[in-house]
Amino acid sequence: MIEVGAVVPLVAPSPAAAGEQSPHRVRIIDGTLACLARHGTAKTTVDDIARQSGVSRATVYRAFPGGRDEILGAVVDTEMARLFSALGVRLGNAGDLGSALVGGIVEASTRLRDHAALHFLVEHEPGIVLGHLAFDESDRLLATASKFTAPFLARWMSPDEAERVAEWATRIVLSYAIAPSSHLDPCDEADAGRLVATFMLPGIEALQSATSAPIDITPYRASGLPAGPGEGPGAAS
Amino acid sequence: MAQEARQRIVEATYACIARRGIAKTTVEDVAREAGLSRATVYRTFPGGRDELIDATVAWATFDFFAKLYDRIQGASSLEEMMERGIMFAHRSILEHQVLQRVMQTEPDKLLPALTVESNRIRAGIAEVLAPYVVDRGLAAGVDLGDAADFLARMVLSYISAPGRWDLEDPEQVARLVRSELLAGVVVPARSR
Repeated sequence: MIEVGAVVPLVAPSPAAAGEQSPHRVRIIDGTLACLARHGTAKTTVDDIARQSGVSRATVYRAFPGGRDEILGAVVDTEMARLFSALGVRLGNAGDLGSALVGGIVEASTRLRDHAALHFLVEHEPGIVLGHLAFDESDRLLATASKFTAPFLARWMSPDEAERVAEWATRIVLSYAIAPSSHLDPCDEADAGRLVATFMLPGIEALQSATSAPIDITPYRASGLPAGPGEGPGAAS
Repeated sequence: MAQEARQRIVEATYACIARRGIAKTTVEDVAREAGLSRATVYRTFPGGRDELIDATVAWATFDFFAKLYDRIQGASSLEEMMERGIMFAHRSILEHQVLQRVMQTEPDKLLPALTVESNRIRAGIAEVLAPYVVDRGLAAGVDLGDAADFLARMVLSYISAPGRWDLEDPEQVARLVRSELLAGVVVPARSR
């Protein structure tokens, strides 16, 4: 699974930080992203990637001996690492649970929305992207994303609850990314805030078992939001 | 008559896909299976193979949700309806041999059609749930349309990828329904 330490070197701006890996890797990955945004995977060749990255074909193969397939794999890993790294910053800086959830949803949704390569692929080669979003593959994606984000949420709840809530937030981001809503834009702080306050905070309160310490969500109740299930969150089950 | 031919062709397409998968199913195969001429198939589906596949995915999805709808009839509460629906839907997806095989062998052939279909499915689930939510009591300050859409999105997400939730376990499903699904949507449950 992806851990914080494993993510940082990949996205560090200095090539030296990539350790024994070729200093050209990041440049080639970014060149590939530009190619993908214009032509997708099917029409992108190693020559295109070399030209776009401003390096020779030989340099590309030295950095990625596996060629095109290895580069595409590295692009996915790097983009995931960049997303998680940005999420880590957002979640780490959040002062309370509500802002962590809102910040995480806005950050992830905005990055998905603005990802030019992803958009081209969804439009022109949907099978490649959708394969990661359906059934078993989606389970894997949910597990990866929630394993990474859960520790940040564990400041406010038990590790088990944190994993459930992280997975839940991931579902929300993916759902609105795949099928945008005309009523709710998760890239918008106010909309995401409404979503978190309306659906997530009462849900988290209900998730908490009777034994764990209750989360203080009073600040979010101040704006006249619906009262939660009160003192017996699990009472109905 | 046209409707009848349409139905017959769609069912024949489904039978072909079940046997050979999507990629190997041709308009000829479908015509033979349906006992109709190629020309009739093309008259009914001018878009040919692609249109056939889309129509078949739509039909199979509709069939799935019709069974699901039957299953939730008579539930005495919104909670019970959602529990029953989620457990049935999850089990049906797991046991759906054609869906499972196509997802294993040629997901790229199925997913685009299924994704288009999921927009209609989501709207359908929201429509079914909305009156039950009203009946149960919408939480103060919550918009019914937002709530029904949110519930439909989440239901679809859980039944296709359960993640950490064991949807075979009634207790877990009850907890899921009362927390991540309904806690913010409806007024608190009366104490039982």
